[in-house]
Amino acid sequence: MAERLTLEEVSYSYPLPGREDLPALDGISLAVEPGEVLCVAGANGSGKSTLAQVCAGLLAPTAGSMGYGGEKIEGRRRLLSFRRKVGLLFQNAEDQLFADTVFEDVAFGPRNHGLKGEELETRVASAAGHAGIDLDELGGRSPFSLSEGEKRRVALAGVLALDPEVLVLDEPFIGLDFDNGERLKGVLGAYREERGASVVIVTHELADAWSLADRFVLLDGGRCAAVEEKSELVRGDIELAGLGMRLPQWGALARGLIRCGVAVADPSDPVVLARAMAERRRASDGR
Amino acid sequence: MVGSDITIGQYLSAETALHSADPRLKIAATVSAMILVFTYEGWGLVAFTGMMLVILLAVRLPLMPLLKSLRAVWVIVVLTFLLQLFLTPGEVLWQWGFLSVTDTGLMNGVVFSARIILLVVLLGALTMTTPPLKLADGMQSLLRPLKYLAVPVSRVATVVSITLMFIPNVLEQSRKVIRSQMARGADFESANLLRRVKDTVPVLVPLFVKVFHDSDELAVAMYARSYAGGEGRTRLYPMKAGSMEVLFTIAFVVACIALSFL
Amino acid sequence: MGDADSFRMRMEGVRYRYPRAGSDALSGIDLEFEQGRMYAVLGRNGSGKSTLARCLNGLLVPTVGRVTVGGLDSADGASGLEIRRNVAMVFQNPDAQMIASSVEEEVAFGPENLGLEPALIRGRVDRAMDLVGIRELARRQPRKLSQGQKQLVAVAGALAMEPRFIVSDESTSMLDHDARERVLELFGRLRDDGLGIVHVTHFLEEALLADTVVILEDGVVADEGAPADVLSSPDEVRGLGLRPLEVTVVIRELATLGHRVPAGVLDIEELLSWLNA
Repeated sequence: MAERLTLEEVSYSYPLPGREDLPALDGISLAVEPGEVLCVAGANGSGKSTLAQVCAGLLAPTAGSMGYGGEKIEGRRRLLSFRRKVGLLFQNAEDQLFADTVFEDVAFGPRNHGLKGEELETRVASAAGHAGIDLDELGGRSPFSLSEGEKRRVALAGVLALDPEVLVLDEPFIGLDFDNGERLKGVLGAYREERGASVVIVTHELADAWSLADRFVLLDGGRCAAVEEKSELVRGDIELAGLGMRLPQWGALARGLIRCGVAVADPSDPVVLARAMAERRRASDGR
Repeated sequence: MVGSDITIGQYLSAETALHSADPRLKIAATVSAMILVFTYEGWGLVAFTGMMLVILLAVRLPLMPLLKSLRAVWVIVVLTFLLQLFLTPGEVLWQWGFLSVTDTGLMNGVVFSARIILLVVLLGALTMTTPPLKLADGMQSLLRPLKYLAVPVSRVATVVSITLMFIPNVLEQSRKVIRSQMARGADFESANLLRRVKDTVPVLVPLFVKVFHDSDELAVAMYARSYAGGEGRTRLYPMKAGSMEVLFTIAFVVACIALSFL
Repeated sequence: MGDADSFRMRMEGVRYRYPRAGSDALSGIDLEFEQGRMYAVLGRNGSGKSTLARCLNGLLVPTVGRVTVGGLDSADGASGLEIRRNVAMVFQNPDAQMIASSVEEEVAFGPENLGLEPALIRGRVDRAMDLVGIRELARRQPRKLSQGQKQLVAVAGALAMEPRFIVSDESTSMLDHDARERVLELFGRLRDDGLGIVHVTHFLEEALLADTVVILEDGVVADEGAPADVLSSPDEVRGLGLRPLEVTVVIRELATLGHRVPAGVLDIEELLSWLNA
């Protein structure tokens, strides 16, 4: 399977007038595989927001190169076609809502891509369906009249309406409560499943992506400190505290169990963890 | 989050003599100069420009950000210049179809656009060297007499300072919204002017919503810390006009007045 | 003002409806907050947490019922200043609270508004900065600090009012792990020094640090009590729209497998020591 999106030694510095440029990313190399959920995690100021925008083609790397589907992204034409393949949901995405109705807001992106009439309506309906927005009920309402959770999902629908192959989300869970967060996770999982899309979740809280993500890219001061799988994080191959992060509770529990000599297959599933513990109890009770 | 490239009205942290000067004196000097700039013709303008340059260089205020703030008004400057250039009657210097350039037109074009530039530079120098809160404090104190005319002085001062505090915020927000709509296929880089104008609505609406929301939050935060419009406020560092500062200000204002006779 | 023991914030039958809103944001709240304790206020989006916080220091005045702080009624305009002095607030977005151009002047903003003499302001500012541990930032520009540092500056600004209570309206929700730890550690220290802390949050781990947990649902108090009592049932917590503590979920699963973990176990260490017992 070929990689979908690749970054090779990508650096980015923000230009500051009259002063030295402000470096935000320094030599990042990574590959996003088709259909995977990749978590990009780092503390405040680690460069993760910048990386999200680079991945979406909104910021052009100041050094290094990017590729998509095996082809190098060079020149404006390639860049534009690349941008169409990637959808980016910004932090506090509800800030981007502007139209009079939910329908129009979701339709903004596909209209920009030249969709019209029936094609447009199908696209909007399918995006709204993916994002868990009931168009019959909400389609004609003003986006500003919705609850926080609904607004965030309408914003997501606006991005899904572009039918992206790679969906990048910058801190998608900030400000959402548990229910809305779980709903969003469900939406992302289903979109990945049905569309075969890659999902990149950018977050400062590993717990946000713990149940969804296959791999974790850990950023530290604009550099890539490590790319790890869940099991490696649990094992403690890398000191998370030094990166301003911590292992999610599930992971910490799994780590505790492993230290006690209990094998854990999936460190994000409570049933698996409980079974492992129960077995251990039985074994020690039996002795 | 990231330094912006537009600096109009924005405070720039540095340690120049202008930064430490009493805000009341700075406001008084700036306002008098701004009024007097309108009375300057030819040599007056040249002399004033020279004087400003000397002052700014003497206090080592970085000039680049100040000049950058002119970018925000270049359209107005060019438009003023052209209108004056072509529409003023006088002795014709050059003619092309129905367009004619006259000697007074040329003169007026230069004078009018120079005045605008100087106004922006004056205001820019004030806001660059005076943080919004100090500006509000200074205005509050200078305008105090107007209270007897039932002018809501503290409110005016508060509104001005909140507005100034919000300039960086508005810039940052607008960049954010532009990028997020670009991610949805809006094209702000296109050469098609119509398309670009059309795409400003999706930027302005979220921007207004956000800025209203944030400024409300800021006002609440100020109120929660017992801010009541500056009335009865004391200062950690009380405003104190040093005698040298006062002297300089008087000299500056006198020079400004004198230039209007040139 | 009475002695510290009797200084309380009380909410009696408090209802609040925002102008032009169709329903109440708070619909009948009775609570009492004491000094020297930390309270965590939890609840899903829209449950009324922020409204409650804003009622406590007089930013909002109840539509029905009353809020008293040290006996002063928040509806009485004359006591507004006194209430805001005693109940300081820290808000969610650090960027929307920074007012001045240097950290020390930022911290001084509150005392300046109280009209204190410069020397007194200096004393308060220095004490507040020392308590929070940001003395070395005094001359820095607040806008240029990290989010976490800004929030510490905001807490110092609140402390400079020399309040009896600090109400934190989701002040940790935009911070990363390290910064959040620092703010919470500070809240714990202030509580030990005798301040009352009311911390609105939607992280259950943070609620574990509180003496009392209050869970709101639809503008009423759905549950109130010690963390071990309120947070130990994952289904109840889940039903109130909150993420249950992982440990409690595992304990529930263990119960279905026939293993009973003693009540009151809320963290991983305790669970593991049960396992190895």
